[in-house]
Amino acid sequence: MLRFLSLRLGRAALTIVLVVTFAFVVLRLSGDPAMLIMGAEASPEAIAAFRASWGLDEPIWVQYFAYFGALAQGDLGMSMRDGRPALDMVLDRVPATLALTVPALLIKIGLGIPAGIYAALHRDSAIDRAVMVLAIAGFTVPSFVLSLLLVLLFAVKLGWLPSGGNQTLLHAVLPVLTLGIGGAAILARFTRSAMLEVLNQPYVRTASAKGVPWRRVVVGHVLPNAMIPTVTIIGFMVGNLIAGAVVVESVFSWPGIGRMLVTAVANRDLAVVQTILLLVAATMVAANLIVDLLYGVLDPRLRQAPAARGGH
Amino acid sequence: MKDTPISPDQMSESTEASHPAGSFRPSRPPVPLAVWLAGGWVVAMVLVALLADILAPYGITALDLRNRLAPPGTPGHWLGTDELGRDVLSRLIVSIRVSLLIAFGAAVLSAVLGTTLGFLAAHFRGVVEQIVLMLADFQAALPFLILALAVLAFFGNSLVLFVCLMGLLGWERYARIARGLALSSSGQGYAAAVRQLGASPARVYFRHILPNTASTLIVSMTIVFPEIILMESGLSFLGLGVQPPQTSLGSMVGYGREYLTTAPWIMLAPAITIILTTLAVSLLGDWLRDRLDPTLR
Repeated sequence: MLRFLSLRLGRAALTIVLVVTFAFVVLRLSGDPAMLIMGAEASPEAIAAFRASWGLDEPIWVQYFAYFGALAQGDLGMSMRDGRPALDMVLDRVPATLALTVPALLIKIGLGIPAGIYAALHRDSAIDRAVMVLAIAGFTVPSFVLSLLLVLLFAVKLGWLPSGGNQTLLHAVLPVLTLGIGGAAILARFTRSAMLEVLNQPYVRTASAKGVPWRRVVVGHVLPNAMIPTVTIIGFMVGNLIAGAVVVESVFSWPGIGRMLVTAVANRDLAVVQTILLLVAATMVAANLIVDLLYGVLDPRLRQAPAARGGH
Repeated sequence: MKDTPISPDQMSESTEASHPAGSFRPSRPPVPLAVWLAGGWVVAMVLVALLADILAPYGITALDLRNRLAPPGTPGHWLGTDELGRDVLSRLIVSIRVSLLIAFGAAVLSAVLGTTLGFLAAHFRGVVEQIVLMLADFQAALPFLILALAVLAFFGNSLVLFVCLMGLLGWERYARIARGLALSSSGQGYAAAVRQLGASPARVYFRHILPNTASTLIVSMTIVFPEIILMESGLSFLGLGVQPPQTSLGSMVGYGREYLTTAPWIMLAPAITIILTTLAVSLLGDWLRDRLDPTLR
């Protein structure tokens, strides 16, 4: 178990290093931020001074190691626009994003999993078909279209809810619904598939053939086994808590990480973009680690030989 | 793999078929109506894309200032016009061409890139394999939208770059599938046989292993293709994808969003097209998967 853990931790760290490197290379090599920030009319001296003050005149590898060194001390650089520490600016926005994505995650789990389970247990019933149609719709309707349709219905036609902003609790309803409905549909489809897979296993037939009540077969045999693939998807959704609302925040003018990222990218605010990239990757990697540990809890077989499953 | 958002399509409902190999199959089930409709829609979209120049009644930038914000059904502008009096139908037709072109180019790129890397990993093993798998892990760890946002805005925006970027979507899935398939094929007699006959590795992979794994890869393509359409339209919607004066389905929705209250048809026409197209390709993919490749079920 210890070997498995250290292997997973090492891979997680490696992924983070790769993300940082990627961010650094792409952002630094893509163009000259000094020209962009200062404008084309700035004097050469002013541009040189700007470069020197941001370390942009050093060789690229010096900048790279300096970045890692600063990173190790928790310094992610200053926003070139605001002059504030990028990490502070980004962390300021985290609560606003989580205020959307956490309730949305609860909706996804609370609606998606029961719907998937019910549909699988009542295969080919009217409800099963309805769940499947909704699930396919949830995959094919992009979130920006769904959010605009919800605005059209609830804000424009009915006038029940505001269409954008973040002043009151009511402002969060439409963005949370947009995120929650789409995710619930995907989760329902996954849960249903996983359930059907397990329902077809010999051990389920054996259990019901030897007279175990159906309810106990479902609760004791089917659900625990079907939850394993479902947990993978939930883990992915948890990893996406920070980055999952880029489009929706933009549509609803919600002041979260996603909107900040779009603005920072448009302004070429390098430090902010890198900070967000890093935060997103760290969340994702952490969620994957937790899922790996959960596998062991859910599936006793994996506790015996965890490393066997970790490979490719 | 746990790192990748496995598409729901890759999960299975094994009750439906799984004929044991070589079992007798009396007759093929008829093609369902939904698949016919989906196929018809895809064919129609491809025709629209190919014949856009002939079909579009107006230029995409042609103004008709006397008919601004005309509702759908106005003679001469059957889908209405936008705020500048540009014909929505004409813009829709050209947008379909642009969006399909990007999605198709990107889907091919992603398949070629992923399959090649997967084969390379399977052939060389060792360090090459570790690097490919590490890159795949990296790709899976970073949401594609975030990666795309960073690359796009920082490298500026051209159509070629945009297609290349979209071509990165899903490569890691092809790579994993291709690697797995190549490893198992290498152990089978036919690959060993051609190798013994003196065929070069490239010949073994592309003339013998690729055809034997093509059905699985084609099915994966039908899963990735709608994702590319959705990603392209999402980025264009945010104003970071296809740039004006060029138009795509996503940028049309983005533009139409400004007129949601006064002229919802500007946004609805491209939105419905996106939904129907992704739906049609997904349905076709499901059906193809059942037909071609029971192992992906």
